[in-house]
Amino acid sequence: MATLTLPGRSAPTEPPRAPVRRRRGRGGKSASAGPVAYTLLTLSALVSIFPLYWTLVAGSHTNAEIAATPPPFLPDASLFENMGRALEEAPIGLAILNSVIVAGSITVGTVLFCTLAGFAFAKLRFRGRGLLLALVVGTMMVPTQLAVIPLFMMIAELQWVNHLQAVILPTLVSAFGVFFMRQYLVSALPDELLEAGRVDGASTFRVFRSIVLPAARPAMAVLAMLTFLTAWNEFFWPIIALTNSNPTVQVALAGLGSGYVPQRSVIMAGTLLGTVPVLVVFAVLGKQIVGGIMQGAVKG
Amino acid sequence: MTIASSGPREALIAAPVVAPPTTTPPARRRTRLTRNRWGYAYVAPFFLVFGCFSLFPFLYTAWVSLHETSLSNIDGGTWVGLENYRNLLQSEFFWNAARNTLTIGILATVPQLCMALGLAHLLNYKLRHRTFFRTVMLMPYATSIAAATLVFAQIFGRDYGLINAVLEGVGLERIDWEGGTWTSQLAIATIVTWRWTGYNALIYLAAMQSIPGELYEAAEMDGASRWRQFLHVTIPALRPTILFTVIVSTIGAVQLFGEPLLFSGNGTTNGGTSNQYQTLGLLMYQQGWSNFHIGQAAATAWAMFLIILVIVGAAAVVGRLRARADR
Amino acid sequence: MSLSGKGKAASAALAVALLTGACGGSAASDDDAPYDPDAPVTLTVGLFGTFGFQEAGLYDEYMDLHPNVTIKETSVEKSADYYRALQTRLAAGSGLEDVQGIEIGFVSDIVQNHADAFADFGQAENADEVRETFYDWKYEQAMTEDGRVVGLGTDAGPQAMCFRRDLFEAAGLPTDREELGELWSDWEGYLDVGRRYQDSPTKPAGSAFVDSPASVFSAAVYQGELAYNDEDGNPAPESSDGVENAWEHASEAAAEDLTAGLSQFGDEWNSAFANGAFATIACPAWMLGYITSQVGEDGAGKWDIAPLPGQGGNWGGSWLGVPESSDDKEAAMALVEWLTAPEQQIKMFTREAHFPSSSEAAEDPEVADATSEYFSGAPIGQIFGESAENIRRTPIGRYDTQIQEAFTTALTNVATQGVSPDEAFEDAMASVEQVTGG
Repeated sequence: MATLTLPGRSAPTEPPRAPVRRRRGRGGKSASAGPVAYTLLTLSALVSIFPLYWTLVAGSHTNAEIAATPPPFLPDASLFENMGRALEEAPIGLAILNSVIVAGSITVGTVLFCTLAGFAFAKLRFRGRGLLLALVVGTMMVPTQLAVIPLFMMIAELQWVNHLQAVILPTLVSAFGVFFMRQYLVSALPDELLEAGRVDGASTFRVFRSIVLPAARPAMAVLAMLTFLTAWNEFFWPIIALTNSNPTVQVALAGLGSGYVPQRSVIMAGTLLGTVPVLVVFAVLGKQIVGGIMQGAVKG
Repeated sequence: MTIASSGPREALIAAPVVAPPTTTPPARRRTRLTRNRWGYAYVAPFFLVFGCFSLFPFLYTAWVSLHETSLSNIDGGTWVGLENYRNLLQSEFFWNAARNTLTIGILATVPQLCMALGLAHLLNYKLRHRTFFRTVMLMPYATSIAAATLVFAQIFGRDYGLINAVLEGVGLERIDWEGGTWTSQLAIATIVTWRWTGYNALIYLAAMQSIPGELYEAAEMDGASRWRQFLHVTIPALRPTILFTVIVSTIGAVQLFGEPLLFSGNGTTNGGTSNQYQTLGLLMYQQGWSNFHIGQAAATAWAMFLIILVIVGAAAVVGRLRARADR
Repeated sequence: MSLSGKGKAASAALAVALLTGACGGSAASDDDAPYDPDAPVTLTVGLFGTFGFQEAGLYDEYMDLHPNVTIKETSVEKSADYYRALQTRLAAGSGLEDVQGIEIGFVSDIVQNHADAFADFGQAENADEVRETFYDWKYEQAMTEDGRVVGLGTDAGPQAMCFRRDLFEAAGLPTDREELGELWSDWEGYLDVGRRYQDSPTKPAGSAFVDSPASVFSAAVYQGELAYNDEDGNPAPESSDGVENAWEHASEAAAEDLTAGLSQFGDEWNSAFANGAFATIACPAWMLGYITSQVGEDGAGKWDIAPLPGQGGNWGGSWLGVPESSDDKEAAMALVEWLTAPEQQIKMFTREAHFPSSSEAAEDPEVADATSEYFSGAPIGQIFGESAENIRRTPIGRYDTQIQEAFTTALTNVATQGVSPDEAFEDAMASVEQVTGG
């Protein structure tokens, strides 16, 4: 566990001794990393991955094996058996499909609506703008757990219990997202650019499409990724609004285990199954998502 | 609310200040954009959804906080005015939770943001496997809180935890991580830090990448070392972004709930045997969902809201003053 | 907020739904056609992870008997998650399944606050016959003061004392379960055995006599006339003989370091099973499965079961209720009656090791003569049956789980943080006040 505190050394108080003398490309930022930087990054990477790795190990052993001292450190073949049991006990296939739908819709909705609103708050003047923005930022601060009761009453009235829209709509927009987009666009979108578009006689929405959207893309990518991950892991509200007959991944995982006995290894194996899609997205699109953010940021 | 004002200097987030700051001819902008009714059209979709599913429940919560009511009888209950708030201020549990929230918040937020800054700096180098490293840094955020906390609870275990095994291995005493006040708070802060450092690092990184190279070149010509460049170019340019992450982390810290709930491992809501790591979020959860006192829980929720309001307001004022001082 | 406000918000929400292209849910039809037992019907059963009907094949059996019935179960592993959702649905008065599982921890909340939301099994034609098959205390725990029966019992949790033969042997203690039962006929005797274990020079290093003070407290507290509530079911732990007695012995065990100082159901507790960190644990019938799973096959023959000190006691167990809002109330009630009937309770015991809450089932030879090979051939049917016979009908209340938690966490502080028992008791009472106070 000592390793977990190591990234602390990467704090700016102790700057990496990167080759100072090497010629830099553009400014200071493109200097090549030295061995110290690589070491620190590799350590951080290991720490970042460890809990996921431990999920893999725990998912492939029995309760008793995991509790042994010292615990096993390598995964075992019974992982597949445990995964099989998880699949048998919970509709994980359906859950993954549902989660893709839910997290996907939430991501699309959040990015779209929050970009629209963020743009308006950043660049358009209209009466009550300050008040409305204050309202948005203010609600970011209210703990969400208590909204659940009134929310459920509404969902129940709409006959949406156990329907996916019950978990999509309440999280379709986020105050954080508006704030995030607004703060980004305030400085990333030069007013001259907007004015130029308007002088050309473009309608407001065309200005939005051809000027605002391209400028906002990097922030949209960040927001999309963060929203997707948050929505995928959301647990508190879905478990109230949905049941295991139409679950998201987290709801399905909560249904694992029967009898009085918690089947930790099956739950861990199931957790892994539920995380795999996110990892696949990362692996396949990682370069596009993360790389895109960064390139966009340079341009923006 | 300062955050609503829009000078580039006060912009809080990712896209950093473009230096020299773009100055726009205010007169022209006014005429063009001042009375743009399109603004309503842009915010309408957001506010429609937001009003129904966020604002309404929050206001409803305020109404509930003025009643003595239970989970079973949410629509009914007796009007008690500010009684729930008065009880809260007199409750040792509230002040204990407030203290814990503050200490865990500091323990979790400060190192987290410092590390994120350092990590972003490292990631900003020309790296082989750059995408790999950047992607991996987000892994903790992709891991569900439940899975992460379960693993960390095992790592911090008293009798069978990894850390204690190492401590014992080098001849030190075992530590009852969960049992102690500071140790349990440190452990929870570690979980939070682990989950969010990469997230913040990426936000910083995005901002770092758009710092114009000329600034560094100029600094280098003045003979500034790498460290001084970091201090005098990178940090100032990142200030709006840093302020933004501070605000968001603060909000997250005040609402901290999942980690302390799951850390006990057996689903209890008391945050440790002496409530040593019960946060405000967990206290509210306990009042509402464990003890059924929904009115009381609603009051706690609004107390949390006010606390955050004060902290964020203070942060915004400080940010504005500093920005003004720099001008 | 008034109804109109809610309605307005709801219609606005609907507008948003249409706007964003999400489709609305299907409206439920609730016409009151007369009950036709042969009409095709789908029954939904909402449970948390402690039932095992599916695993025992009872749904399939029922659907074979009644081809018109389709049963769909939804299950949540943690009862806390389940209960949170159930409460939200009860508060909103909608979204309930046709059958809902009710655990002992919240049966009293249902009885006191939501009885009207559940169909009354006491009104059934054969209600008296059905009642006969259950233990009195079990049937009555789901009954309101005016005789409304909100659910029928599934399993029960009569308690015994599980012990490690191998650790006892190493410590030079007797391992005969009857002899032990006599040695610890009361809790004082149990603590004496504990002190002998503690003082034994040959006991395995690092092992404690009992897992936690909670083992003593939670078992002993229900042996009093009163546990956490007064006769009317209102919390009154300060004036309960059960609490006083349980606290005395549990805090003694904690202060004298007889316990391993674990929090039950925590991670360390789970690991402690496999590591042989304690020699005894108060075990309800359902705990046998827990032990087996945590210890693994290597543990076969190491554990044994003796009677609980004091007298019998109950921990856990559940009921099945049918919400009034169910569209197929009669069919759902028929299903519940069948699932909880003695024949099925016997199957649940032989297949899933859930101890019957039906006295008739418990007396059946299949249950009464059962032994457990894993637990060194202990006559589990007899031991748990006797425990169930002796369970006192102490009044239960809606805060029992939370109050118990307040006491057991305070006891953990005695065991691990060196807090004095008196101070810990004050802490516990402060927590109790926080739990029950408005």
